[in-house]
Amino acid sequence: MCEFSERLVAWLDRELSFEEAAEVERHLEGCSECRSGVDAYERASGEFGAYCDEIMESQARRGTTTLVQAAVAVGAMAAIMGLVLALPRTRVEPPAFHRTQAVAAVSRAIVAGGIPAVATPIQRVHRRHPPTPARNQIANSGAAPGQQSYTSPEETAIQIAIPADEMFPPGAVPEGMHFVADLTIAADGSAERLRLSPRLAGIERSTNQP
Amino acid sequence: MSGDAANLALPLSRLSTGTSEATTLYRELRKPLLRYLVCLGLSSDEAQDVVQDAFLILHRHLASGGSQENIRGWLFRVAHNQARNRQNRYDRNFSAPGDAELQAASHEETPERAVLEKEKFQRLGKAIRLLTASERECLLLRAAGLRYREIGEVLGIATSTVNDTVDRAVKKLAEKCNV
Repeated sequence: MCEFSERLVAWLDRELSFEEAAEVERHLEGCSECRSGVDAYERASGEFGAYCDEIMESQARRGTTTLVQAAVAVGAMAAIMGLVLALPRTRVEPPAFHRTQAVAAVSRAIVAGGIPAVATPIQRVHRRHPPTPARNQIANSGAAPGQQSYTSPEETAIQIAIPADEMFPPGAVPEGMHFVADLTIAADGSAERLRLSPRLAGIERSTNQP
Repeated sequence: MSGDAANLALPLSRLSTGTSEATTLYRELRKPLLRYLVCLGLSSDEAQDVVQDAFLILHRHLASGGSQENIRGWLFRVAHNQARNRQNRYDRNFSAPGDAELQAASHEETPERAVLEKEKFQRLGKAIRLLTASERECLLLRAAGLRYREIGEVLGIATSTVNDTVDRAVKKLAEKCNV
């Protein structure tokens, strides 16, 4: 074994002085044993690092399946919010809608009376900034049918945007992700249907460009 | 590998006071710690727990006037011991072909390249599983950017032993998969 092998370790860790490092580098040029050792080390550690990254990524992918469990919790939360909204029969003043804040939540009456559900697309609001917490944001679109839903809710579809970082620890989901809960409330105030879909703010922004 | 060696030394002044310094340290070391723990075999949730605990212990350690020398090595040692305490899960990610190998290279452009990459990863995974625990740990800590001396401190072995162990591991990997 070459006498330099000990010093190579210190050289790799950049613990040598400038002169010592230069000496090791000169030696490396001449000594094929040391050079191939360093090459092998760098190749192997590069491959090993890539393998570790892949393990990390696959763990992160596996982590997304736990989102389903989280979605159930979110559903429960959304249902409670829905109940709070739907139960009062008196007129509820909707909070002011700030377009500049780009509130994602849009609620809208779909059905009136006994008429079967019309597949009215839920109006989407152009979003410039990530939405702020949902509980402050149940907002009315301002349209006449929307207002009606607060006075006589026969069946109400409510869309609530929930920023993911409200529900998950930092780093658990990609940055900028939030969930949109489509909540349908029956006449008796129970949550009839709930659909939860993850959204990436960046993607939504681009598709909603006028 | 040695490219980030310049960042290895953590200026001690940064740790003296203030939360912003602690935040910097957390931001800098959280990811390498998580990667090390996940590669040791912890799930991401467990790894997050261990990292939180390690930083909590660090906070107590510094608050009680503990040594500020080599905080990086210190944190890895705490995390390593915490991971050891969860022995039942230990080494899980290296014990069988994992998703990493099955899903590796799915982002490759052509199917041929993807197949080649996948084969390479499978060979590498097999070779890594044949390493001893301490060989794997040395390589993992090396991949996390620790110096030989620091690895020795984390694992409680001499620096020269670390050197020999890394050498042996590298040779084994090179033999098995021509990396």
